[in-house]
Amino acid sequence: MITRKIQYQMAKRAVGPFLMALDRWQSAQKSRKRKPRETPFGPPLQSVQKLKEIMTLNYFEGRYADGAVPVAWVTSGFPAEVFFALGFHVVYPENHAALCSTRHKVPEIAEFAERDGLSRDVCSYARTDIGSVISGKTPVGRLPKPDMIACCTNICQTVLYWYRNLAEYLNVPLVLVDTPFMYGGTREHHLDYVSAQLGEVIEAAERISGRRMDAEKLARVVENARDGSRLWGECLAISQARPAPWTGIDTFFHIAPIVTIRGTETCNEYYRMLKDELTERVKAGVGGIKNEKHRLLWDNLPIWFKVREHSTMTAERGFNFVCATYSNAWAEAGDLIDPSHPLESAAKTYTYVYLNRDLDNRLKTTVDLAKSFGVDGAVLHSDRSCKPYSVGQVDVKERLQKDMNIRVLLLEADHADERSLSGEQAEMRLLAFMENFND
Amino acid sequence: MRKEYIDRQKREFGRKVVISLPIHYPKEILTALDVLCVELWGPPGEISGNQAGRIQTYVCPVVRKALAFIAGGHASEADALLFPHTCDSIQGLASLLPDFGGWNGPVLRFIHPKGERRASSEVYLVREIEAFIAQVETLTGKKLEPARLSSAVKLHAEIDALKLRILKLRRNIDMRDSELYAILRRGEWLWPEDHMAELKELASKISDKPQKKGVALMLSGIVPEPMDIFDVLENAGAFIVADDYAAIGRRISSSSAELPDNPLQAVIERYFALPPCSTRSSDLAGRVEYLTGLYSQNGAAGLVLHNVKFCEPEMFDVAMIKKRFAAMNSPVLYVETELEKQLSGQLSTRLEAFVEMASKGGESE
Repeated sequence: MITRKIQYQMAKRAVGPFLMALDRWQSAQKSRKRKPRETPFGPPLQSVQKLKEIMTLNYFEGRYADGAVPVAWVTSGFPAEVFFALGFHVVYPENHAALCSTRHKVPEIAEFAERDGLSRDVCSYARTDIGSVISGKTPVGRLPKPDMIACCTNICQTVLYWYRNLAEYLNVPLVLVDTPFMYGGTREHHLDYVSAQLGEVIEAAERISGRRMDAEKLARVVENARDGSRLWGECLAISQARPAPWTGIDTFFHIAPIVTIRGTETCNEYYRMLKDELTERVKAGVGGIKNEKHRLLWDNLPIWFKVREHSTMTAERGFNFVCATYSNAWAEAGDLIDPSHPLESAAKTYTYVYLNRDLDNRLKTTVDLAKSFGVDGAVLHSDRSCKPYSVGQVDVKERLQKDMNIRVLLLEADHADERSLSGEQAEMRLLAFMENFND
Repeated sequence: MRKEYIDRQKREFGRKVVISLPIHYPKEILTALDVLCVELWGPPGEISGNQAGRIQTYVCPVVRKALAFIAGGHASEADALLFPHTCDSIQGLASLLPDFGGWNGPVLRFIHPKGERRASSEVYLVREIEAFIAQVETLTGKKLEPARLSSAVKLHAEIDALKLRILKLRRNIDMRDSELYAILRRGEWLWPEDHMAELKELASKISDKPQKKGVALMLSGIVPEPMDIFDVLENAGAFIVADDYAAIGRRISSSSAELPDNPLQAVIERYFALPPCSTRSSDLAGRVEYLTGLYSQNGAAGLVLHNVKFCEPEMFDVAMIKKRFAAMNSPVLYVETELEKQLSGQLSTRLEAFVEMASKGGESE
């Protein structure tokens, strides 16, 4: 235990930062030697290096976390502030699966889950993480074994099916925050239910960690989460400028801190830095792509394994994804969080989540984004792996076309599993879609 | 026939009709408020019209077909739709139809708690059922009387007890499985007292001795559609000895004997006493345990996991179930259907081959 704690602290405070500094130095050397490549994108964001360091360090620390500090695996929509306040190391399997997809590791890893009997029709994130647990394969070196698994159903019911399996494979307890779906407004007893479950989660986390919740510390973490969410929203809103100083595709990567280390000062520092850089780019007229002719909205999760190809293909033709419903979802909570009433406000914040609300609200949010970012087209990713996000898109497409008079493409793919995408067909559809704008 | 029956219920008894999507909802409340509930499992068969195209083809056919049925104007006899919070897809449909068109009438919703019974979920369920009562009261213009609810609870508890007895002693009934299931499934749309009468008649056919011979199988899944699965199995030399369909066995509450006097509390107890179900996100280990128990107690020689294509809650449980049954050296077959009219030849062959394989593990009588 003591050895493990020393290893963890060494990784966190010495080895990790040293490796990051080394990586920074090596990157600087390489970029000095490298001839500038011709790309359709604007100059790369300087903040990217910092983002890479934060995320790499987070996963690096994680390798030594189990046995040193309590560890929880949580869903992206879970009120993880309670775990941060209790000193847990928090792992986000969704983020891990997305990472596996960007590295094209999903087919190899998910196959272990499929061989164990999990259908290829279920969410590819789930298959990837379960496959990783079975095989031990991961591109991040090692994931720490959790002391508990925590699931919140505000993004889908699928996470609960998936996390029940993880809990079973890992033989650890599962805690649940079940958020009743919102049709129109919410009801008092729904919020009371979420609030009561948060109390149960804290009790379980205290029992498992052997630590007591410090109310002041929780309030600080919650305050940070509120500020982080607001800062993230401010970074996104900067893209209302023309040209947008970054791309919606960039936001898919820069979203990582607000998802995985929400509630920490590191998260907020990062977004302050990013916001400053984006503001400077707007002042200097620097765009995310070089020649922004058309502005698009992206709906649903990214196609992680194709993000670079698709963004290059669109950027080359002057199309920039300036906003995304997916990235925006993490910016909506800012005004609901109240550090002076952490649990009550968390109940509301984590119930009023984009995917936990009806289609009327979803359409309204999409229309608001389309208007405020001045888009002239939208790509709705019909995601085989995410049914709750995808059901309703056919009607949303029609409404956007009719009410907003913009061009809309419904593109069928998968967020993580490249075996579920007909690459050429998808590219042809994207190309044909872009050609329409030349009418 | 079903349409005539529904019309008569409205005309002769003045009952409101609610069309409900699957699976779990407090039917006792509807009965107590004189509402006929007609469940919509698809319906099976070809999709008519183009409304199903509003939901992607990788989404469960129960939902796509229900959309086609309702938005195609075939639910006009209903006074309201009821959407239990079964899964993401039904949840999506519950918003799609009223928000984007296809249904302009009243909508009832019942969002049951997920996961294991906890202090928070007990309190929530009471309040959610109270909210559900308020919705049904608004629909009917009637006030729920505790005595009516008590009677309804008692009636449904008796129906469950009878179904439980029939399923337990089913091998003593000289009747094809397809006929037996047709009677059991009529509870999806009959007025409960009418259903009870049919069940009593069925129970009267239980004899002292087993009437069935062949390979005893357990079936687990969402809904036994297409129904000719029973004929295919029976013709291959098998009979069904245990049931874990969400439409049948998983809705039979086992708490009938010791219900509290407070009728609302009795509804709560009946809900928590239901067998484990993937759509309620019951504990996975507990569900596997339950299934192995059901299998062993009934002397099954093989398990057929019969799922509806793209039913995510159920698909997630399959791996663990298969693993456990493999460890017990019990044969398991996983099949998927899409609420088609008839089983495909290919699937029939797989079922026949499975029966033959299971028979080598010992024929059961």
